Amino acid sequence: MKLSSLGYLLKEGAKNIWSNRTMSFASVGVLVSCLLLTGAAVLFSMNIDSAMQSVEGSNSITVYCTQGLPTLKAVQVGEAIKNIDNISECELVPKDQAVEEMLEMLGDNGTVLEGLMGEDNFLPDSYRISMADLALYDETVAQITAIDGVEKIIDYSDIAEQLTQLDDMVTTVCFWIILLLGIVSLFIIANTIRVALFSRRLEISIMKSVGATNWFVRVPFLVEGMIIGLVSGGLASLILNVAYDNVISSLSILSFFTPLPLDPYRLRIVLTFLLAGAAFGVLGGFISLGRYLRKDVGAFTAP
Amino acid sequence: MITFQNVSKMYPNGTHALNHVNLHIDRGEFVFIVGSSGAGKSTFLKLIMCEERPSEGTILIGDTVVTDLKRRQIPYLRRTMGIVFQDFRLIDNMSVYENVAFAMHVVGASNKEIRRRVPYFLGLVDLQDKAQCKPAELSGGEQQRVGLARALVNNPKLIIADEPTGNVDPALSFEIVDLLSEINRHGTTVLMVTHEHSLVKHFHRRIVEIHGGRIVADTGKVEVR
Ligand SMILES: Nc1ncnc2c1ncn2[C@@H]1O[C@H](COP(=O)(O)OP(=O)(O)OP(=O)(O)O)[C@@H](O)[C@H]1O
Ligand SMILES: [Mg+2]
Repeated sequence: MKLSSLGYLLKEGAKNIWSNRTMSFASVGVLVSCLLLTGAAVLFSMNIDSAMQSVEGSNSITVYCTQGLPTLKAVQVGEAIKNIDNISECELVPKDQAVEEMLEMLGDNGTVLEGLMGEDNFLPDSYRISMADLALYDETVAQITAIDGVEKIIDYSDIAEQLTQLDDMVTTVCFWIILLLGIVSLFIIANTIRVALFSRRLEISIMKSVGATNWFVRVPFLVEGMIIGLVSGGLASLILNVAYDNVISSLSILSFFTPLPLDPYRLRIVLTFLLAGAAFGVLGGFISLGRYLRKDVGAFTAP
Repeated sequence: MITFQNVSKMYPNGTHALNHVNLHIDRGEFVFIVGSSGAGKSTFLKLIMCEERPSEGTILIGDTVVTDLKRRQIPYLRRTMGIVFQDFRLIDNMSVYENVAFAMHVVGASNKEIRRRVPYFLGLVDLQDKAQCKPAELSGGEQQRVGLARALVNNPKLIIADEPTGNVDPALSFEIVDLLSEINRHGTTVLMVTHEHSLVKHFHRRIVEIHGGRIVADTGKVEVR
């Protein structure tokens, strides 16, 4: 195709959008919502994943000894734990160290809790352990609990499991909403283009009488869909980037959770959204053109 | 130029619009096609343009067996024809110039070529002063001249006109047919459907009469000096 024709076709596509602005804006609106929700759901999932990794990466299981257990006894508990087959790591966290860690986390340079060091320390000794085979988890926990002097076991995988459940739920709900919005946006884009098609049916019939190929007749409408899609993709990625940054900065007061930084993903989001938007737009165009151009009807027969 | 061999057309609803039509039209002829309403005149033209395909028989245009043409080849056949409609079929929101340029754009002509040819053909139909007018600002005769310029701009070998004077003041009808004769004099074949006997009488050309889907009278080729 010649360059002048390409320019002509692009211009015609843009004209369609403008002469049909209300519908075009509606299409952009719905497509932006669809893309935004998809992006938000994916980012939410990625954050949960990274939160889970940080939980898993930290001391996954902590075994607390009975409070006030004599040190010698505590060491024996440690030996007993190490004797269990499935234990791959077992590290003692003496109660003094536990207090220091606590002080550090609270950012308290030691006024209230300072007096708790040494004899007055109310924290128990504890062990951070890892298991070699998580399939034997329940058995191993039972064995540890059976050891004399073990008070309780705190397992971060409980938290991880809850996070996974939350993620699954959000993913499922979002999937259906996205599917629905996707269908609605396709429907609206197809209808927008159908309106343009209808308002230009005289032009189309003349084009066909004069000898325009079907592709030449189609392209402006596919361009129309593509522009709607690209504008939606651009808008959605802009909103998502800005909104995410805002959410991150308002969440930054939470010390236990660091949100995933968006920087490595920004370009990918923009490109994906543009591509997905354009694909949707063109697909909508094909849907509405459908059988319309199948016939060889020119201006004699058509309106 | 155009040959119909035993061509019949039955529409899906069962109407027999044409029955066993045999006709040959030479390159450079000017043919009036006459006949009562519903006789099958428009159907005849539609078959030539491939807007409809015959139920039976063979149609040749130039060296092309139209009846064997594949769908995607049809646009290229149509580029060799120019069509003029009874109701002009101009696009309201385009200027006279744009209406004519449009026909060139859609067959992929370059902008340079468009800028060169459109003014030439607007001059030919004597509308160069109205190039920027919208169709609504023109008289019926002027609108049909725009239609004529649009039909001519791609250099067709054949002009097909279905009652081109039907919506034009009778006095101006002669002007339109004069223009068509002028074009015909330069070698373009012209097929024109008309109901106006005064026109047919005034211009001594070949007359083909269709009635009930059959050719009932044909003066044969008429030599024009
Ligand atoms: N698309 C169609 N489907 C069914 N029947 C049709 C169709 N087009 C035309 N006909 C019928 O075919 C016959 C011939 O129609 P055609 O349009 O060729 O007549 P015509 O000679 O051009 O008439 P007019 O002078 O009124 O324009 C008519 O009986 C008409 O009703
Ligand atoms: Mg007719």
